[in-house]
Amino acid sequence: MKKNLKFFIVLYLSKLSRIALKLIGRDATYFPGKLAVTLCPDFLGRIDKPKTIIGVTGTNGKTTVCNMIEDCLKENGYEFIDNHLGSNINSGLASTLIEGASLLGKQKKDLAVFEIDERSAVKIYPYVTPTYLVCTNLFRDSLKRNAHTEFISNILTNNIPKETKLILNGDDLIVSNLATNNERVYFGIDRLETDSDKCENIVRDITVCPKCDTKLEYDFVRYNHVGRAYCPKCDFASPKINYEITNINFDKMKMTIKNEEKEENYDIINNNIINIYNMLATITVLKEIGLTRTQINPVLKKQKIVDTRYSKEKVKNIEIITQLSKGMNPIACSRAFDYVRKEEGNKAVFVLLDDLHEAANSSENIAWQYDTDYEFLNSESIKQILTAGARYLDTYVRLQMADIPKEKIIYQRDEMSLVEKLNLEGIDKVFILHDLYSIDLKNQIKKKVEEKVLKNN
Amino acid sequence: MNKTIEILFPEFCNLYGDLSNMKYLQKCIPEANFIETSFNEEPIFVKGDVDLIYMGPMTEKMQEKVIRKLKPYKQRIEELIEKNVVFLITGNAIEIFGEYIENENGSRIEALGIFNIYAKRNMMKRHNSNFIGKYEDIEIVGFKSQFTQSYGNNEGNYFAKVEKGIGINPESLLEGLQKNNFIATYVIGPILILNPQFTKKILEKIGIKQQIAFEKDVQSAYDQRLKELKKI
Repeated sequence: MKKNLKFFIVLYLSKLSRIALKLIGRDATYFPGKLAVTLCPDFLGRIDKPKTIIGVTGTNGKTTVCNMIEDCLKENGYEFIDNHLGSNINSGLASTLIEGASLLGKQKKDLAVFEIDERSAVKIYPYVTPTYLVCTNLFRDSLKRNAHTEFISNILTNNIPKETKLILNGDDLIVSNLATNNERVYFGIDRLETDSDKCENIVRDITVCPKCDTKLEYDFVRYNHVGRAYCPKCDFASPKINYEITNINFDKMKMTIKNEEKEENYDIINNNIINIYNMLATITVLKEIGLTRTQINPVLKKQKIVDTRYSKEKVKNIEIITQLSKGMNPIACSRAFDYVRKEEGNKAVFVLLDDLHEAANSSENIAWQYDTDYEFLNSESIKQILTAGARYLDTYVRLQMADIPKEKIIYQRDEMSLVEKLNLEGIDKVFILHDLYSIDLKNQIKKKVEEKVLKNN
Repeated sequence: MNKTIEILFPEFCNLYGDLSNMKYLQKCIPEANFIETSFNEEPIFVKGDVDLIYMGPMTEKMQEKVIRKLKPYKQRIEELIEKNVVFLITGNAIEIFGEYIENENGSRIEALGIFNIYAKRNMMKRHNSNFIGKYEDIEIVGFKSQFTQSYGNNEGNYFAKVEKGIGINPESLLEGLQKNNFIATYVIGPILILNPQFTKKILEKIGIKQQIAFEKDVQSAYDQRLKELKKI
């Protein structure tokens, strides 16, 4: 697509808006791009792009994977542009490209790392061709926006450019079937002790063969539709994995990755399987662009999961753990519930998953709660569940639907006084599960829990 | 009591948590016989007697398969509707019983043709809204989240009169379909958990008059939601 006069006018206006916003101390990561794609809808197609683009998409883990890729590249002296401060839709990419472009619309750097919203495929891929596109996983997400996985996988398959090399989660049967004509490599984790022969989750979005409708046979199920499966009637099956974790040593926090018969050891920073998948996706794409273990592992080893996503602190003899559990995202919340139940010791759990925006302006559609495995909280080791917020009455019903005894549940509208009801007797760990937009609330609750633990004898 | 509830194709018709309509009913009447009919089986309503048939929302591709699957049983379904068998059809499953579903490119998928409505898909424009509607003396609350809108005449056989939100399309104030004890609605929630009085009504229709599960708590949640939705 050629640069025309309109393009240059829009580019200069956008650059000026960026300068103006910066001068008055405002965020300039969204508006310049929004202005550009509004005034010139094919702006993304006209502006120059870096020679190599690494895109990261998928339901969960995009931001984490992008952050790790960027840290590894930075530490190894690569120069690149990225949208980590801006949005992951077309206007966010446009803002990044505007910032990275000269007055002639040429990119100053040869490499880009873009987090790409999967729903925005229609507005991005006709104009931006990622050299590599990582897809972490595809699950049910906000039903209001993303509907269901068939809708999202169709959008991706219909829009991903044919030149893009895909880096796919081979354990996710929906992801591994994206854009089947594209060149691809798969990453995956071999069977773990914790894997099962049957699915424990409410949601499993691929149960029959997409080719012949025969019921799939699962070799093992990890969670939801993640696992390895095959069709007993035709040739459909989980793909052969190119980068496979063949062993995880949780005591030593090490993992072994096998690629083309060569095995390499890497450190893991957390025992949550989701984080291990994120690290594996990162390592796979970095190896594909030519980085070595010695360039990658020291950087990943130093990674810390940001406090807004996960934190762990020991106060006296009690661990206080905060865990992001995106509300309206049934799989993210189910994973968090699963993590809590599998942690050792007696636990008390704060469940604060209401969408604060919905609480202030509407009445949240709570259908997602019924796709979420609240049943995982029905565990002998979970002694108390404390929930508050606008949807406290709905959550109370949902917890009862999961057969959780009423006497274990504390529910009330006010969040802040919830900590007063926390019973620390015999408790080893206190979990605070919170929504993405409830960071302040999470911090306040955490502080109050710390105070209560310190006062507790 | 020996009531039989048939849940059609739960492995596919399971979007938006709506299968919990039946999980809730199971909590209300645990002694009833709940049968989950897989897609590769013949529905038991074809040859046997059932008291309630449930089908929930599904993907667009699945809608086409379900239509093909149920087409041979169209007459039997009409016969059961005439015999006052209770049907509860939620989300886009309603479209299976209309005339046809139209894609954005104008192509049509012929549906069962039992009711005089048809659906139009717009996959890039998802509709989301809150809902309050009057069904008999009950104010039904819930949500809509869908790619389709339905058109045609449901004046004589609508499910609920809209008080807030939209009917079968944004211009309509009549939501869903009802004929005898056949009830179909786009409203998700799950509708039975969100509407305790409606759940009691459904149970009455299959001959059960009793308390429902966690009645006080589902009623409190209903009262709060109704108040909130009226305020918006």
